[in-house]
Amino acid sequence: MNNHDSRDSVVVEGIELSRRQFLAMLGGGLALGALGSPLSALAQVAAANGGVLRVAAQTNPSSMDPATGGSGSDHVFLYPIYDTLVEWDFATLQPKPGLAKSWTYKDPRTLVLTLQQGVKFHDGTPFDAEAVKFNLDRNRSDTRSNIRTDLASIESVDVAGPHEVVITLKAPDSALPMILSDRAGMMVSPKAVKEMGERYDRNPVGTGAMKFVSWADGAKIVCTRNPDYWKPERYPLAGIEFTIITDPATRLRSLMSGQADIAYHLGGRQLPLIQRGKGLQVYTDSTIYCFQIYLNYSRGPLQDVRVRQALNYAIDREAYVQAVLAGAAEPAYMNLPKSHWAYDPEVAKLYPYDPDKAKALLKEAGYGNGVKLDMRGYNDQATIQAEEVVLAQFAKVGIGGRFTNGTIPEMSAAYFARGEGDLILSAWTGRPDPSMAYGLMYSKNAYFNAGRVAPPEGFEEALAESRATDDIAVRKQALAKVQRLVMEHALVVPLAFRMDIVAAASHVHGYRNNLLGKPKFEGVSLKKA
Amino acid sequence: MNRKAKMLYRRLLQAAPIMVLATFIVFSLMQLLPGDIAVTLAGENASEERIAEIRDLYGLNQPFLVQYGSWLWHAVQGDLGSSLLTGEAVAETVTRTFPTTLFVVVYAIALSVLIGVPLGILAASRPGSPRDGFIMSIASLGVAVPNFWLGMILVLVLGLTLQLFPATGFVSPTEDFAAAVWYATLPALALSTGGIAEVARQLRSSLVEIHHSQHVRTLHAKGLSPAKILWKHGLKNVSVNLLTVVSLLFTKILAATVVVEAVFAIPGMGSAVVNAVLEGDFPLVQGAVLAMVVTVIVVNLATDMLYTVLDPRID
Repeated sequence: MNNHDSRDSVVVEGIELSRRQFLAMLGGGLALGALGSPLSALAQVAAANGGVLRVAAQTNPSSMDPATGGSGSDHVFLYPIYDTLVEWDFATLQPKPGLAKSWTYKDPRTLVLTLQQGVKFHDGTPFDAEAVKFNLDRNRSDTRSNIRTDLASIESVDVAGPHEVVITLKAPDSALPMILSDRAGMMVSPKAVKEMGERYDRNPVGTGAMKFVSWADGAKIVCTRNPDYWKPERYPLAGIEFTIITDPATRLRSLMSGQADIAYHLGGRQLPLIQRGKGLQVYTDSTIYCFQIYLNYSRGPLQDVRVRQALNYAIDREAYVQAVLAGAAEPAYMNLPKSHWAYDPEVAKLYPYDPDKAKALLKEAGYGNGVKLDMRGYNDQATIQAEEVVLAQFAKVGIGGRFTNGTIPEMSAAYFARGEGDLILSAWTGRPDPSMAYGLMYSKNAYFNAGRVAPPEGFEEALAESRATDDIAVRKQALAKVQRLVMEHALVVPLAFRMDIVAAASHVHGYRNNLLGKPKFEGVSLKKA
Repeated sequence: MNRKAKMLYRRLLQAAPIMVLATFIVFSLMQLLPGDIAVTLAGENASEERIAEIRDLYGLNQPFLVQYGSWLWHAVQGDLGSSLLTGEAVAETVTRTFPTTLFVVVYAIALSVLIGVPLGILAASRPGSPRDGFIMSIASLGVAVPNFWLGMILVLVLGLTLQLFPATGFVSPTEDFAAAVWYATLPALALSTGGIAEVARQLRSSLVEIHHSQHVRTLHAKGLSPAKILWKHGLKNVSVNLLTVVSLLFTKILAATVVVEAVFAIPGMGSAVVNAVLEGDFPLVQGAVLAMVVTVIVVNLATDMLYTVLDPRID
């Protein structure tokens, strides 16, 4: 990268500069005075050495500590700073090695992790089995941890050698490796946590490719390259600078006018604008985030499976995607998108758009003259547009009623916790392992099963079967059975999978979307044209 | 001077109860808002038990008056607490974001005066002429056009199509003043249209009124040139009115920054407060309210002091 003599170089804020670059920077700073600050000169030099990626980010993170944070939108900021024990494949979400070089189930209740050697945290603390034990114990027991339930299946964590950890489980759980690819597997420096206590939330120390520099709430998060990263080829960038811009239209404008290199979580209606924009690249890919209608099958007409099936036949998903999401989404016929490793094409065929069949089923169930439902939703503009489309499609087969709307926390509490309303138009944000998703949505006492009705016979067995092995083919079969039971009993009305729409300037190379829908800038580099 | 010192003293004494009252009202209003910060803090899909635990952890289940009292007790000692959501110290958030907002507001007021005053003079110099009519109809339009819409148009034309100004972002004036002005130009312009119009209209009507007054007629009769009359007598007489307009503009523009900050992605206090209100992050809301109340009080006080300078008859 640099062909200058290394003796002739200076390090400015972690970025190595040749003497000439350094002088140019100083000179530029002095000569231009007000117009070119030393900072922007630094940024220009940095661009030559791998570059600082300027990201237009969607929202302020809730915390930079993976254990105490609570929002799914935090991951974008956490991934560069932390490595996870297990990683996932971008396209299919299949687990693959991360800080854990390998893992094996000695028996269904004993998981052994073998760790990467020679890895260090940003503060110099070695990453070893003790650090993993510290992290997992903290994540599953600290009062401030928001991810205790993720690790509820763990009985104990033991250090078996400097780079070997043995996890003993309360019950077989092959979803655990995928759980360790999420927050629970992000390794924080034990020394930093012990020293800083609650202040750690704003001063993260991981093993990742980027070192944390600063965080100004709602404005900016700055990271710089970790020179000792154990896989340096993964992140060729000199740093990442996140500017927080909550409005998607403004995010896109900051990219178009050159103040950002990449912007994520853009809307379908912005696609034509991006395509018309000069020199912009766009990435559109499905994610596991699913817009869906949750049903409470403990009350009213929805106790009858035929009514629930009628709802599923009544929805024209292609039209829904066009009308509500401007065509930028994948129609959802089950809880997993097409590219997911556990997707079953047979289950997806169960509910084609068939208004006549919906009418016939309603008639059979004794609702030949129509049925009225108490529907719930959120009070944002996008949800209300979606409600209008759903109402119109329902009306065609004789399903009537009205939506009552409220804020997300308010309506979610009313519907899921207090069991008010027959259904809610909402979304499932996705979980790294599908068995977690099904358990959380359909098990008898699950929060997202508003009616707390026991799932169909065979559901729990198939779910347990999917967790008892880490043989992906066997798991896939068991999960197909789970999904078939859910859809045959019509426990949900899936609508569409959200598409991750990311736009980048032409000098950004190597960006890929992932199925989780949480951008990771691994492999991204900057090249000036 | 003694009189002025007395006034200053009296006004500062009044400020304390105003601050307590303002923060108390805002705190009470926030209790009425739907939504619960404990739900946000507990993370996505949290159980009821976890939410209850969070409430306990952050003292959110204490009675309303106890919560407010505890906030006030710490605030009096100079501790504004930290954001419930992110743990950033409120004092830090306010000192970072408020100068940003103030910079844009002051810039917008400067534009209002620099553009509004000449327009007002031009219109007033020939009342009833086509020129007057033209300027005044433009001014009416300026009052009527919503500034977020104008902001969008400015971004589209000057930011994206012509690329004369950056479409988004902000540079701190302490870091690089020229860049700060360059970045803040479009937002300040968007904010200033109402101000320009108001300054021009007020100035015009005051000047016209003065022109018809007896003493100006006398000045004319004594053979003073119209230019001298305008600069030495006219503007001096309307300066008090102008000051009133500007001080009213200040609070108006301060409130309008909330929307304009969102359009231009300016990390000011407006956007910080909107988010804090929506999430129920009360320490941050209280801190911001306090900063705004203090500013408005200071601006009003400064205005009153200036009145006495501009017009010795006032005390």
